[in-house]
Amino acid sequence: MRMKRFLNNVLSLSVAMWLCIFLSLGSIALACLGATRAGDWMARLPNLVGVGLLALALAITGTRALFRKRVDSAFFHLGSAVIMAGWLAGQIALRTATPENPAKGLMALIDGDMSDQLYEGPRLQTLVGRVPFTVKLEKFSVERYPSKDPGYEAPVREYSSRVVIQERNKPSRVENIRVNHPAIVAGFYIYQMSWGQSYDRWGQPVNYTVLQFKRDPGLYAVYTGFGLLFVGAFWFAARCFHLKRGGAACS
Amino acid sequence: MQLKETPQGLLIYMTMVAFLLAATLLKTRHKPLGRGFWFAGFVFATVSVVYRGLDTGHPPMQNLFEFFLCMAAFLWPLAQVSRYQTGADTDFQDALLGLVILFPAGFVFSAEPRMLPPALQSPLFIPHVGSYVAAYIILARSAFMALPLFKCAGPLAADDPRYGEFARADAVSRQTAAMGFVLMTIGLFLGSIWGKICWGHYWQWDPKEMWSLATWFMYAAYFHFRLRNGLRHPFPLALLLWLGFLFVVLTLTWINVSRLFSGMHTYA
Repeated sequence: MRMKRFLNNVLSLSVAMWLCIFLSLGSIALACLGATRAGDWMARLPNLVGVGLLALALAITGTRALFRKRVDSAFFHLGSAVIMAGWLAGQIALRTATPENPAKGLMALIDGDMSDQLYEGPRLQTLVGRVPFTVKLEKFSVERYPSKDPGYEAPVREYSSRVVIQERNKPSRVENIRVNHPAIVAGFYIYQMSWGQSYDRWGQPVNYTVLQFKRDPGLYAVYTGFGLLFVGAFWFAARCFHLKRGGAACS
Repeated sequence: MQLKETPQGLLIYMTMVAFLLAATLLKTRHKPLGRGFWFAGFVFATVSVVYRGLDTGHPPMQNLFEFFLCMAAFLWPLAQVSRYQTGADTDFQDALLGLVILFPAGFVFSAEPRMLPPALQSPLFIPHVGSYVAAYIILARSAFMALPLFKCAGPLAADDPRYGEFARADAVSRQTAAMGFVLMTIGLFLGSIWGKICWGHYWQWDPKEMWSLATWFMYAAYFHFRLRNGLRHPFPLALLLWLGFLFVVLTLTWINVSRLFSGMHTYA
């Protein structure tokens, strides 16, 4: 009984409204920090705990809404909670990553190179770990838009890396990785991140490709959460439009 | 301030003239004629968007200039849908809104065509940007519909003679805001999927993402406040809607051009 009263007080609509305003202003504060610093700040342990508590509160709100047959509210709050839980799972994977089981990293290759090592840092100097498969770059290619005037290099239209992936005890396979078309191998998403020019040991210019590797166990939870959230928002809006037909919707 | 002496510019100015005539005539006895110009403005705006798309060879949603062109073209159909759903006749405000939207496209933003970088070559480009175009238009309309609520500073009693007027303004603005909120949620969802496919993560803490999230939370606060208080306090209701709209305007203008907020969404 006391628990119920406590929940009624803490999870009330006015608390929710102020929380929304607080989160709104907090988002703006993080926007002023810039993406990198905001991401780093959010990844700190107290913030993870805070997000966990928020997810818990949202889950309780959603469950209570479900019992009260407020289906739109239930979908909405449970969806938000699932998104946060998925994000936390991703953060935990990053924190518990080991050199044998890394969660993210970069790999720079020139044509013919083969590697399973992931690096990080501005010059890709720090070894992060090894992925459980090897990647061999067959060919990196850059395609440009047709140039309008000679002497002027047109913008890049597309760049892609054709790689051979060899997982343990599996036949090798060829993947063409380009922007917006990542490859998915053994739980890792492999992205075409960037490229650049360097010189090989004979002083000849060569293009190198930078591939980004990411492993995120919470990804599908996040997508599920977004799906629930969307259903909740849609349901809520649909209820708002029953107003004309005499329902007491939206209130 | 710069006149665009191109067919593109001409189309924009024709749209603006049509919207201006529409807004003027809708306030006189010649309402049907005003509606005609309002529709003609929509036709010009659509031609303008199509021309831009053919001219640049990609969906015209890459930079601010193209985004604002799309907003102007989306305005008429969205107003019709909303009119059908809420029964509110807002043609005059909408024509004025169209004029305001097209002003920066016509005189401020650069119309220099750019090639589409690899990151933007995705089937999610049109749905993601399109849902935000529609959402922002609808939220702007919602803010204008809530204007009468500002007239009631204190608590509203049920026997107040203006109760009917406030209830009406509240109902249409809330329905419109709910529609915009759904579209914002779709935009956010599609953006997170695209971000995962393109950048490697569904959430990058990018300044523009954070401002969109702030907008989203502001409307969430509005809905919570409405659920809590009903129509007892009309002024804060309107205030929250206008705060949300202010965030939309800032996201579209300041955030896009300011160095302070440069990030991965900087395509404009």
